[in-house]
Amino acid sequence: MGYIDAGYAVALSVLVGYGAVLWQRRRRLEALRDEAVARERR
Amino acid sequence: MSIAPPPPPWSGRRRRTVDVIGAAAVLGVAVTVWLGLWVTPPDQHLHDEVRLVYVHPPIAWVALYLAFGLAALSSVLWLWPRTRSGAWDRLAVASMEVGTVFTALTLVTGSIWGRATWGVWWAWDARLTSTALLLVLQLGYLAVRRVPADHEARARRSAVVALVAAVDVPIVHFSVDWWTTLHQGGTITNPNLSPTIHGAMAWTLLLGFVAFTLLFVWLLLVRYRVVVLAEWREDTELALALHERWAEGAPRAEPVAVPREGTVPAPPAGVGATESVGPAARG
Repeated sequence: MGYIDAGYAVALSVLVGYGAVLWQRRRRLEALRDEAVARERR
Repeated sequence: MSIAPPPPPWSGRRRRTVDVIGAAAVLGVAVTVWLGLWVTPPDQHLHDEVRLVYVHPPIAWVALYLAFGLAALSSVLWLWPRTRSGAWDRLAVASMEVGTVFTALTLVTGSIWGRATWGVWWAWDARLTSTALLLVLQLGYLAVRRVPADHEARARRSAVVALVAAVDVPIVHFSVDWWTTLHQGGTITNPNLSPTIHGAMAWTLLLGFVAFTLLFVWLLLVRYRVVVLAEWREDTELALALHERWAEGAPRAEPVAVPREGTVPAPPAGVGATESVGPAARG
Protein backbone atom coordinates (compact mmCIF):
# COMPACT_ATOMS: atom_id res chain seq x y z
CA MET A 1 0.00 0.00 0.00
CA GLY A 2 3.05 2.28 0.07
CA TYR A 3 2.45 3.89 -3.31
CA ILE A 4 -1.26 4.24 -2.76
CA ASP A 5 -0.78 5.93 0.60
CA ALA A 6 1.78 8.21 -1.00
CA GLY A 7 -0.69 9.13 -3.76
CA TYR A 8 -3.36 10.07 -1.23
CA ALA A 9 -0.86 11.95 0.94
CA VAL A 10 0.50 14.03 -1.96
CA ALA A 11 -2.95 14.87 -3.34
CA LEU A 12 -4.41 15.85 0.01
CA SER A 13 -1.42 17.83 1.26
CA VAL A 14 -1.14 19.83 -1.97
CA LEU A 15 -4.85 20.65 -2.00
CA VAL A 16 -4.96 21.54 1.70
CA GLY A 17 -1.79 23.65 1.32
CA TYR A 18 -3.10 25.48 -1.74
CA GLY A 19 -6.45 26.11 -0.05
CA ALA A 20 -4.72 27.46 3.06
CA VAL A 21 -2.50 29.79 1.01
CA LEU A 22 -5.52 31.12 -0.91
CA TRP A 23 -7.53 31.61 2.28
CA GLN A 24 -4.65 33.44 3.95
CA ARG A 25 -4.15 35.65 0.88
CA ARG A 26 -7.83 36.50 0.83
CA ARG A 27 -7.78 37.41 4.52
CA ARG A 28 -4.75 39.66 4.07
CA LEU A 29 -6.36 41.46 1.14
CA GLU A 30 -9.69 41.76 3.00
CA ALA A 31 -7.80 43.38 5.89
CA LEU A 32 -6.27 45.93 3.49
CA ARG A 33 -9.70 46.58 2.02
CA ASP A 34 -11.21 47.12 5.49
CA GLU A 35 -8.35 49.48 6.30
CA ALA A 36 -9.02 51.50 3.13
CA VAL A 37 -12.75 51.69 3.90
CA ALA A 38 -12.02 52.89 7.45
CA ARG A 39 -9.56 55.49 6.09
CA GLU A 40 -12.18 56.75 3.64
CA ARG A 41 -14.74 57.11 6.43
CA ARG A 42 -12.29 59.15 8.52
CA MET B 1 -6.06 61.82 -7.81
CA SER B 2 -8.71 59.16 -8.54
CA ILE B 3 -8.37 55.91 -6.61
CA ALA B 4 -10.66 52.96 -7.33
CA PRO B 5 -13.18 52.48 -4.50
CA PRO B 6 -12.68 49.30 -2.47
CA PRO B 7 -14.81 46.39 -3.71
CA PRO B 8 -17.85 45.67 -1.52
CA PRO B 9 -17.40 42.90 1.05
CA TRP B 10 -18.92 39.45 0.62
CA SER B 11 -22.56 39.58 1.63
CA GLY B 12 -23.63 37.41 4.56
CA ARG B 13 -25.42 35.06 2.19
CA ARG B 14 -22.41 34.65 -0.08
CA ARG B 15 -20.10 34.09 2.90
CA ARG B 16 -22.44 31.39 4.22
CA THR B 17 -22.60 29.76 0.77
CA VAL B 18 -18.80 29.66 0.56
CA ASP B 19 -18.59 28.22 4.08
CA VAL B 20 -21.20 25.54 3.35
CA ILE B 21 -19.50 24.51 0.10
CA GLY B 22 -16.12 24.42 1.85
CA ALA B 23 -17.45 22.30 4.71
CA ALA B 24 -19.22 19.92 2.31
CA ALA B 25 -16.05 19.59 0.23
CA VAL B 26 -13.85 18.81 3.24
CA LEU B 27 -16.39 16.30 4.57
CA GLY B 28 -16.82 14.71 1.13
CA VAL B 29 -13.09 14.34 0.55
CA ALA B 30 -12.57 12.96 4.07
CA VAL B 31 -15.31 10.34 3.59
CA THR B 32 -13.92 9.45 0.14
CA VAL B 33 -10.48 8.87 1.66
CA TRP B 34 -11.93 6.77 4.49
CA LEU B 35 -14.04 4.65 2.13
CA GLY B 36 -11.28 4.45 -0.47
CA LEU B 37 -8.53 3.34 1.87
CA TRP B 38 -10.34 1.26 4.49
CA VAL B 39 -13.90 0.28 3.51
CA THR B 40 -14.00 -0.66 -0.18
CA PRO B 41 -12.83 -4.16 -1.16
CA PRO B 42 -9.61 -4.73 -3.14
CA ASP B 43 -9.94 -5.37 -6.87
CA GLN B 44 -9.72 -8.88 -8.34
CA HIS B 45 -6.80 -7.94 -10.62
CA LEU B 46 -5.31 -4.73 -9.26
CA HIS B 47 -5.72 -5.73 -5.58
CA ASP B 48 -5.10 -2.74 -3.27
CA GLU B 49 -3.57 -0.69 -6.10
CA VAL B 50 -7.11 0.02 -7.29
CA ARG B 51 -7.63 2.41 -4.39
CA LEU B 52 -6.16 5.36 -6.28
CA VAL B 53 -9.18 5.16 -8.59
CA TYR B 54 -11.16 7.14 -6.02
CA VAL B 55 -8.75 10.08 -6.25
CA HIS B 56 -7.00 10.13 -9.62
CA PRO B 57 -9.99 10.17 -12.03
CA PRO B 58 -11.97 12.75 -9.98
CA ILE B 59 -8.91 15.06 -9.89
CA ALA B 60 -8.42 14.57 -13.64
CA TRP B 61 -12.12 15.30 -14.27
CA VAL B 62 -11.78 18.63 -12.45
CA ALA B 63 -8.51 19.53 -14.17
CA LEU B 64 -9.37 18.63 -17.73
CA TYR B 65 -13.07 19.20 -18.13
CA LEU B 66 -14.35 21.41 -15.35
CA ALA B 67 -11.55 23.90 -14.79
CA PHE B 68 -10.32 24.09 -18.36
CA GLY B 69 -13.85 24.10 -19.78
CA LEU B 70 -14.83 26.97 -17.51
CA ALA B 71 -11.66 28.92 -18.32
CA ALA B 72 -12.18 28.45 -22.07
CA LEU B 73 -15.87 29.36 -21.88
CA SER B 74 -15.11 32.49 -19.81
CA SER B 75 -12.43 33.46 -22.31
CA VAL B 76 -14.88 33.16 -25.22
CA LEU B 77 -17.43 35.23 -23.32
CA TRP B 78 -14.79 37.88 -22.67
CA LEU B 79 -13.70 37.96 -26.32
CA TRP B 80 -17.30 38.13 -27.58
CA PRO B 81 -18.05 41.90 -27.63
CA ARG B 82 -21.68 41.49 -26.55
CA THR B 83 -20.84 39.58 -23.39
CA ARG B 84 -17.51 41.25 -22.57
CA SER B 85 -17.14 41.86 -18.87
CA GLY B 86 -14.23 41.94 -16.43
CA ALA B 87 -16.00 39.19 -14.47
CA TRP B 88 -15.35 36.67 -17.28
CA ASP B 89 -11.66 37.49 -17.28
CA ARG B 90 -11.45 37.09 -13.51
CA LEU B 91 -13.34 33.80 -13.69
CA ALA B 92 -11.01 32.57 -16.43
CA VAL B 93 -7.83 33.25 -14.47
CA ALA B 94 -9.29 31.87 -11.24
CA SER B 95 -10.39 28.68 -12.99
CA MET B 96 -7.10 28.33 -14.85
CA GLU B 97 -4.99 28.67 -11.72
CA VAL B 98 -7.03 26.20 -9.69
CA GLY B 99 -7.08 23.91 -12.73
CA THR B 100 -3.30 24.05 -12.98
CA VAL B 101 -2.99 22.68 -9.44
CA PHE B 102 -5.39 19.87 -10.34
CA THR B 103 -3.53 19.09 -13.59
CA ALA B 104 -0.24 18.85 -11.69
CA LEU B 105 -1.92 16.51 -9.21
CA THR B 106 -3.37 14.45 -12.05
CA LEU B 107 0.15 13.88 -13.32
CA VAL B 108 1.61 13.18 -9.88
CA THR B 109 -1.10 10.75 -8.75
CA GLY B 110 -1.08 9.13 -12.19
CA SER B 111 2.68 8.73 -12.01
CA ILE B 112 2.45 7.10 -8.57
CA TRP B 113 -0.31 4.82 -9.78
CA GLY B 114 1.75 3.98 -12.87
CA ARG B 115 4.69 3.01 -10.67
CA ALA B 116 2.44 0.73 -8.61
CA THR B 117 0.68 -0.97 -11.54
CA TRP B 118 2.92 -0.59 -14.62
CA GLY B 119 6.23 -0.56 -12.78
CA VAL B 120 7.34 2.81 -14.20
CA TRP B 121 6.96 6.38 -12.97
CA TRP B 122 6.55 7.78 -16.47
CA ALA B 123 6.02 6.61 -20.05
CA TRP B 124 5.89 8.75 -23.18
CA ASP B 125 2.37 7.56 -23.68
CA ALA B 126 -0.09 9.74 -25.67
CA ARG B 127 -2.39 10.37 -22.69
CA LEU B 128 0.46 11.20 -20.31
CA THR B 129 2.34 13.35 -22.79
CA SER B 130 -0.70 15.35 -23.89
CA THR B 131 -1.61 15.94 -20.22
CA ALA B 132 1.93 17.11 -19.49
CA LEU B 133 1.64 19.47 -22.48
CA LEU B 134 -1.60 20.78 -21.00
CA LEU B 135 0.19 21.60 -17.76
CA VAL B 136 2.87 23.49 -19.69
CA LEU B 137 0.16 25.43 -21.56
CA GLN B 138 -1.58 26.29 -18.30
CA LEU B 139 1.70 27.52 -16.81
CA GLY B 140 2.18 29.55 -19.99
CA TYR B 141 -1.23 31.13 -19.49
CA LEU B 142 -0.34 32.09 -15.92
CA ALA B 143 2.99 33.51 -17.12
CA VAL B 144 1.18 35.64 -19.71
CA ARG B 145 -1.05 36.96 -16.93
CA ARG B 146 2.02 38.26 -15.13
CA VAL B 147 3.26 40.33 -18.07
CA PRO B 148 2.57 43.96 -17.10
CA ALA B 149 -0.25 45.49 -19.13
CA ASP B 150 -3.54 47.30 -18.62
CA HIS B 151 -6.55 45.16 -17.74
CA GLU B 152 -7.97 44.98 -21.26
CA ALA B 153 -4.73 44.05 -23.03
CA ARG B 154 -3.98 41.42 -20.40
CA ALA B 155 -7.49 39.98 -20.61
CA ARG B 156 -7.36 39.83 -24.42
CA ARG B 157 -4.01 38.07 -24.70
CA SER B 158 -4.90 35.68 -21.84
CA ALA B 159 -8.19 34.76 -23.49
CA VAL B 160 -6.42 34.01 -26.77
CA VAL B 161 -3.82 31.85 -24.98
CA ALA B 162 -6.60 29.98 -23.13
CA LEU B 163 -8.38 29.19 -26.38
CA VAL B 164 -5.18 28.06 -28.07
CA ALA B 165 -4.42 25.83 -25.06
CA ALA B 166 -7.99 24.44 -25.11
CA VAL B 167 -7.16 22.66 -28.37
CA ASP B 168 -5.14 20.20 -26.28
CA VAL B 169 -8.15 19.10 -24.18
CA PRO B 170 -9.85 16.96 -26.87
CA ILE B 171 -6.43 15.56 -27.75
CA VAL B 172 -6.00 14.45 -24.13
CA HIS B 173 -9.51 13.00 -24.08
CA PHE B 174 -9.31 11.05 -27.34
CA SER B 175 -5.63 10.14 -27.08
CA VAL B 176 -6.52 6.68 -25.74
CA ASP B 177 -8.74 6.05 -28.79
CA TRP B 178 -6.50 7.60 -31.44
CA TRP B 179 -3.28 5.92 -30.36
CA THR B 180 -2.28 2.66 -28.73
CA THR B 181 -1.49 3.70 -25.20
CA LEU B 182 -0.32 2.23 -21.95
CA HIS B 183 -3.04 4.23 -20.24
CA GLN B 184 -6.35 2.41 -20.28
CA GLY B 185 -9.20 3.66 -22.43
CA GLY B 186 -12.69 4.52 -21.29
CA THR B 187 -14.08 1.85 -18.97
CA ILE B 188 -17.47 2.77 -17.52
CA THR B 189 -18.67 4.46 -20.70
CA ASN B 190 -17.32 1.75 -23.00
CA PRO B 191 -20.30 -0.25 -24.38
CA ASN B 192 -18.06 -3.15 -25.47
CA LEU B 193 -16.82 -3.79 -21.95
CA SER B 194 -20.11 -3.50 -20.01
CA PRO B 195 -18.09 -3.56 -16.77
CA THR B 196 -19.52 -4.65 -13.48
CA ILE B 197 -18.36 -2.87 -10.35
CA HIS B 198 -18.94 -3.57 -6.67
CA GLY B 199 -21.55 -1.23 -5.19
CA ALA B 200 -19.23 0.18 -2.52
CA MET B 201 -16.60 0.91 -5.16
CA ALA B 202 -19.11 2.58 -7.49
CA TRP B 203 -20.55 4.79 -4.76
CA THR B 204 -17.13 5.74 -3.45
CA LEU B 205 -16.03 6.68 -6.95
CA LEU B 206 -19.16 8.76 -7.43
CA LEU B 207 -18.63 10.44 -4.05
CA GLY B 208 -15.05 11.20 -5.08
CA PHE B 209 -16.28 13.00 -8.21
CA VAL B 210 -18.81 15.03 -6.19
CA ALA B 211 -16.34 15.85 -3.37
CA PHE B 212 -13.52 17.02 -5.65
CA THR B 213 -16.01 19.03 -7.73
CA LEU B 214 -17.18 20.78 -4.56
CA LEU B 215 -13.57 21.39 -3.56
CA PHE B 216 -12.92 22.94 -6.96
CA VAL B 217 -15.98 25.22 -6.60
CA TRP B 218 -14.82 26.36 -3.15
CA LEU B 219 -11.26 27.04 -4.34
CA LEU B 220 -12.66 28.86 -7.38
CA LEU B 221 -14.86 31.15 -5.27
CA VAL B 222 -11.99 32.04 -2.94
CA ARG B 223 -9.57 32.54 -5.85
CA TYR B 224 -12.11 34.75 -7.64
CA ARG B 225 -12.39 36.94 -4.55
CA VAL B 226 -8.59 37.16 -4.37
CA VAL B 227 -8.51 38.29 -8.01
CA VAL B 228 -11.09 41.02 -7.31
CA LEU B 229 -9.17 42.30 -4.27
CA ALA B 230 -5.77 42.02 -5.95
CA GLU B 231 -6.97 44.02 -8.96
CA TRP B 232 -8.30 46.75 -6.70
CA ARG B 233 -5.02 46.82 -4.78
CA GLU B 234 -3.00 46.90 -7.99
CA ASP B 235 -5.05 49.86 -9.30
CA THR B 236 -4.76 51.69 -5.96
CA GLU B 237 -1.00 51.19 -5.78
CA LEU B 238 -0.62 52.38 -9.37
CA ALA B 239 -2.69 55.50 -8.68
CA LEU B 240 -0.67 56.25 -5.52
CA ALA B 241 2.64 55.67 -7.32
CA LEU B 242 1.60 58.03 -10.14
CA HIS B 243 0.50 60.62 -7.59
CA GLU B 244 3.88 60.38 -5.84
CA ARG B 245 5.74 60.71 -9.13
CA TRP B 246 3.74 63.79 -10.03
CA ALA B 247 4.37 65.26 -6.60
CA GLU B 248 8.12 64.60 -6.98
CA GLY B 249 8.12 66.13 -10.45
CA ALA B 250 6.39 69.37 -9.46
CA PRO B 251 9.48 71.42 -8.40
CA ARG B 252 11.27 70.39 -11.61
CA ALA B 253 8.70 72.24 -13.64
CA GLU B 254 10.97 75.30 -13.39
CA PRO B 255 12.90 76.18 -16.59
CA VAL B 256 16.09 74.18 -17.08
CA ALA B 257 19.06 75.54 -19.00
CA VAL B 258 19.38 73.68 -22.31
CA PRO B 259 22.77 73.72 -24.08
CA ARG B 260 22.77 75.39 -27.46
CA GLU B 261 22.95 73.15 -30.54
CA GLY B 262 26.48 72.14 -31.40
CA THR B 263 27.87 72.72 -27.97
CA VAL B 264 28.57 70.08 -25.39
CA PRO B 265 28.49 71.00 -21.74
CA ALA B 266 31.77 70.36 -19.95
CA PRO B 267 31.65 67.06 -18.07
CA PRO B 268 32.25 67.07 -14.33
CA ALA B 269 35.89 66.77 -13.33
CA GLY B 270 37.23 63.24 -13.85
CA VAL B 271 34.33 62.09 -16.01
CA GLY B 272 34.86 61.36 -19.70
CA ALA B 273 38.36 62.89 -19.63
CA THR B 274 39.67 60.47 -22.24
CA GLU B 275 36.58 60.35 -24.45
CA SER B 276 35.89 62.59 -27.44
CA VAL B 277 32.23 63.53 -27.59
CA GLY B 278 30.22 65.85 -29.78
CA PRO B 279 30.51 67.53 -33.17
CA ALA B 280 33.78 69.27 -32.30
CA ALA B 281 35.50 65.93 -31.70
CA ARG B 282 34.17 64.51 -34.95
CA GLY B 283 35.30 67.54 -36.92
